[in-house]
Amino acid sequence: MKRLLAVTLGILTAIGGFVDIGDIVANAEAGARFGVALAWVVVVGVVGICVYAEMAGRVAAVSGRPVFDLVRERLGPRVGLVNLAGSYLVTVLTLGAEMGGVALALELVTSVHYLLFVPVVAFAAWVVLWRVRFETMERVFGLLGLVLVVFIVALFRLPTDWSQLWGQASHPVPAGDENWGTYGFFAVALFAAAMTPYEVFFFSSGAVEERWSTKDLLTSRANVFIGFPLGGLLSLALMATTAVVFHPLDVQVETLGQTALPVAIALGKIGLAVAILGFFAATFGAAMETGLSAGYTIAQYFGWAWGKFRRPREAARFHVVLQVSVLVGAIALFTTIDPIMLTEYTLVGSAVVLPLTYLPILVVANDRDYLGNRVNGPLANTLGLLYLVVILAVATAAIPLMVMTGVGG
Amino acid sequence: MSVLIGFDLLDRQIQDCDGQSVGKVDDVELAVGTDGRPRVVALLVGPQALGRRLGGRLGRWVSGLAGRLHPVAHPDPIRIPYALIAKRTSSIVLSVRRDRLPEPTLEAWLREHLIDRIPGASHGGQ
Repeated sequence: MKRLLAVTLGILTAIGGFVDIGDIVANAEAGARFGVALAWVVVVGVVGICVYAEMAGRVAAVSGRPVFDLVRERLGPRVGLVNLAGSYLVTVLTLGAEMGGVALALELVTSVHYLLFVPVVAFAAWVVLWRVRFETMERVFGLLGLVLVVFIVALFRLPTDWSQLWGQASHPVPAGDENWGTYGFFAVALFAAAMTPYEVFFFSSGAVEERWSTKDLLTSRANVFIGFPLGGLLSLALMATTAVVFHPLDVQVETLGQTALPVAIALGKIGLAVAILGFFAATFGAAMETGLSAGYTIAQYFGWAWGKFRRPREAARFHVVLQVSVLVGAIALFTTIDPIMLTEYTLVGSAVVLPLTYLPILVVANDRDYLGNRVNGPLANTLGLLYLVVILAVATAAIPLMVMTGVGG
Repeated sequence: MSVLIGFDLLDRQIQDCDGQSVGKVDDVELAVGTDGRPRVVALLVGPQALGRRLGGRLGRWVSGLAGRLHPVAHPDPIRIPYALIAKRTSSIVLSVRRDRLPEPTLEAWLREHLIDRIPGASHGGQ
């Protein structure tokens, strides 16, 4: 019974923890511009994150080695360092984007300019990273993020023409004034939003933090195979609500407030309040995950003591990296770059660096020295190789598409 | 037992007997035995060793930065005798506790000058 409760709680946390600022921005924008003609990309991305996280979770549970340990072991110190630089930069900028999302959610509630909230949010983020237990942190924000279910409720309350949505989803081509370039760019953004590298750094390091062993493989798989797809469903609901409200009017979504508008139309003030609470929880939770992931990558590359299960004074270098990362994220926002724009850049960055961390995991997941008889089976390897090709294609296309379309135009 | 230095040792995580992180195998020290065959006598840990292995300008920068913090002008990396290895799995587990080894300079410096001055530094951990 106790075990069932733990597994259920893990799944719920994974659902709520799945959505972050990248998912909110990419899905809402894509819905407004293309209807749900890009829904298939979310499905492809969610299957991809399941394949990747399952392998990383299994390696972490069986061998105790999280992602960046393996990156350095497999790629060596030089290529590993280049990889670290890229992954850290993208993760820290994503941390900035998540904190920007929190500040924008607070602006929606108070009408006070979001930049005034940035120092408060950064300080709060650091305090939680400094003092709050790992499990408490993960559960509070994960469970609170579940209120994003309000987007599914809104979809049923709106005058949704389901056959029209199905028509868009089953004809995955650019509609109206859009061209294949912008279609491709948003496909990359949606894929990167679903399959973000930091999610896997966090998932595998979290497995080590919670001392998972072979016994916990069931929990790991339940989180991945049930939690992530249901989290992806929340992303799709976001896309569908903007597809219903904005797409017929040819209105583009450019602010967080517009993203919440369909819920306000469908469910009134209460709905709007719940949606904003959901944005807050999703982005604050993701700020914790990206902040920790930034620390995990550096500490694991250099072999430092890391983790929230240690006292800060026993992992001094790790905690200094957390502090510096929060500070760098806040400074990124203080350049006054629009957080929504920053999010789009980080999604492109994520797509570019993903192969560098994916490949070592795929290799180690086949290594009996690490996994004994828990190595990849034929299905995991078929999917693993298929996604390696997809990830490489997306990484190659990301920057050309960004330049061609002027970041989506 | 033969060991592939590049594959089984270099860049692996080192843990003490309680599972605490000690560092990475940044380099190894070799010596020629009485039979004329080289063998690994110690694991080298720390930015000085890593910088030498990285090589080039970047490597000098890593070693130089580490040297600046250290009270000694050209410090040696932390040296862990090969005999202290209890077992090799996906990581390298030592037979001693971490506090029997020299502490990394940066960790000690940051703890003393920054982390210990913030309230709650000894709090938590579970």
